[in-house]
Amino acid sequence: MVFVQQKLKKLVVIALAGIMTAAFSASLAVSAEEHYDVYNYDRWNEAIPSQAGYLASHSVSGQDLGIGDFSAPSDIFRDAYDRFFIVDTGNHRIVVTNSELTEVVKILEEFTLPDGSTTTLRDPEGIYVSPESDLIYIADYNNSRVLVCDYEGNVTMEITKPESELFSSELTFLPQRVIADKAGNVYVVLGNITTGAAMFNSDGEFQGYYGANTVEATSQVIVNYFWKLISTEKMRSKSARSVPTGITSFDLDDEGFIYTCTQSTSQKTDTVKKLNPAGKNLFSNLGVTWGDFESLYDVNTARSYQSMICDIEISDDGNINCLDLTSGRIFQYDKEGNLLFIFGSASEQLGGFTEVSAIESIGGRVLVTDSRKDYITVFEETDFGSIVHEATNLYNGGYYEEALDPWYKVLQYDGNYRRAFLGISAALLVEGDYEGSMKYAKLADSPYRYNRAFEGWRTEFLSAHLTEITVIVCVIAAGGVGAYLYLKKRRKSTDNGKEAETV
Amino acid sequence: MMDLTNRQWVKHAVTHPFEGFEDMRWKKAGSMKYAIIIVLLWFVASVFYNRLYGFQFYVSADKMFNVIPYIVRTIVLFLTWVVGNWAVCTLLDGEGTMKNIFVYSAYALVPYVVSIYLDVFMSHFLIRDEFVFIEAVRYIGLGWSVILVFSAIKSVHQYSFLKTIVAIALTIAAMLIMLFLLVLLLSLLQQVYVFVYSIYTEIAYRLKV
Repeated sequence: MVFVQQKLKKLVVIALAGIMTAAFSASLAVSAEEHYDVYNYDRWNEAIPSQAGYLASHSVSGQDLGIGDFSAPSDIFRDAYDRFFIVDTGNHRIVVTNSELTEVVKILEEFTLPDGSTTTLRDPEGIYVSPESDLIYIADYNNSRVLVCDYEGNVTMEITKPESELFSSELTFLPQRVIADKAGNVYVVLGNITTGAAMFNSDGEFQGYYGANTVEATSQVIVNYFWKLISTEKMRSKSARSVPTGITSFDLDDEGFIYTCTQSTSQKTDTVKKLNPAGKNLFSNLGVTWGDFESLYDVNTARSYQSMICDIEISDDGNINCLDLTSGRIFQYDKEGNLLFIFGSASEQLGGFTEVSAIESIGGRVLVTDSRKDYITVFEETDFGSIVHEATNLYNGGYYEEALDPWYKVLQYDGNYRRAFLGISAALLVEGDYEGSMKYAKLADSPYRYNRAFEGWRTEFLSAHLTEITVIVCVIAAGGVGAYLYLKKRRKSTDNGKEAETV
Repeated sequence: MMDLTNRQWVKHAVTHPFEGFEDMRWKKAGSMKYAIIIVLLWFVASVFYNRLYGFQFYVSADKMFNVIPYIVRTIVLFLTWVVGNWAVCTLLDGEGTMKNIFVYSAYALVPYVVSIYLDVFMSHFLIRDEFVFIEAVRYIGLGWSVILVFSAIKSVHQYSFLKTIVAIALTIAAMLIMLFLLVLLLSLLQQVYVFVYSIYTEIAYRLKV
């Protein structure tokens, strides 16, 4: 009776504890304040609910800055002094603000050419400010030129349509994005060129193309190749050519690697590339699907939407921010291509977009321009986001043990965060806690990590229990041999007996 | 001579790839009970292989488990083999009855089934670098079973070497045809069901209105 009472008491306590933890976790779950469902992808590439890594904090319009509304801003760039250069396309000007986006430092509208005459912009689309030479590179779209000038607006160089065999004279020269590497080479994205970015040297001479996308090996391409083999010249001229989509935008990281993105609905490979100086894609073997895995089907318009990465940006700690034009989402990856966060949406509220155009980051902030809404949305990193970033940076730097505590904290926020389990497993393996490492590898569904932890555990187990194992094996072997001999002997004797009977 | 129990017959057939089934035929041995047990063990082994395999080698998708594909891949496959072989070999002057084909084929599966269990067992002690041992066991079991199946078909129908090969090839073709017809039948039945159901809803609506 006493025993039953004790058991009842125990049950009540457990039930109470359960209710309390449930209530506690419920209060935790409400912490996300975004108007959309924050999600992430799990190991099986299925969308699962997740904690928000970034929250939209406020928006900045031209009115807020006191310079009149922006008109279709198409690019934003942060220079080495943390000033923001906003390309105000429709107003044909460049707006320079301070790092907090609270006041305008300068407006670039008129430029002085070397001969003393002035010139203005017409629908500029892209901007880059070199940290080495402090020169400003402006893709002046409808003037068909790239302006290179200093901060005062004195033009030092003007890059116009190249006269070269490589650049067909029939093509227009409409620059959309521009960057310059450390050596002063200028790379220009042109909307009508599919063979990569046009490359100019520091004197403005055309050098060729850089970083072309490859043609995706679809069945269509193979079929076309077959027909090309057997068709005549005339037939060939009429058939469609398989050309890759041209790159849409690019950015430089601290080490000088160029990252490109390609906005396309048909192309699935090469949407995001990391190019080495030779133009080779270092991400080609990564196997990452950039953007959403599944294309989204909209019942209202009866169309399916696929991610189109329209701008890319590398943050200070090497994270890759990809801007999706279709869904208005920002996909943040670490430098190894692991998905960290997804935030933003296509909506009217703060944090939602109608037509995103460019992305930039500063510290824990991400800024996104919208060319329809004509304002800049500022996203602030959440506590969860900063812990994940800390852990990821330590982990990617090889500091597995130092990353252990941040990873545990990540799990307190989001128990579904797979990379945390992987990180803990790796850290415990380094520490020699094989059993713990195995446990977390199992939680992360990672056979590879489990294998390494298990190898360590097995070695440890064998060396610790060598005597017992030897004894057990010897006993079993001796017992087996003994039993065999005994049975054989008995069988022989019974056989003999049988034979004796029959005889 | 050869007064073996049912269990000893299984052992004899498996360990004597060339004479075992001939002996069985001569003594009219072979138990249906044991044959069914072997096929069921095969089915269980295939489930084990998916669910209980060592974690370092392979992760099964835990979100969903459906047992039907495993039944189809083992029991249904085996039954099609038996029926297909019987159908083909009746036309090719084979001497085996359906029951004998079932029993002999099931006995021939023993090394393969055992190798699956061994693999699952070993996968809990080995690491990825030692995967070659698991592979070796798997291929030995599979190869042994293939030889036994050949020998079983040869002796159950009293065929020559060449005729056995032809019979097996035809059996595989027959299996494919059977499975194709089965799928066809199922989809047709489904359409009939949908048709009847829509008529029923139609009438139900009319009655209501």
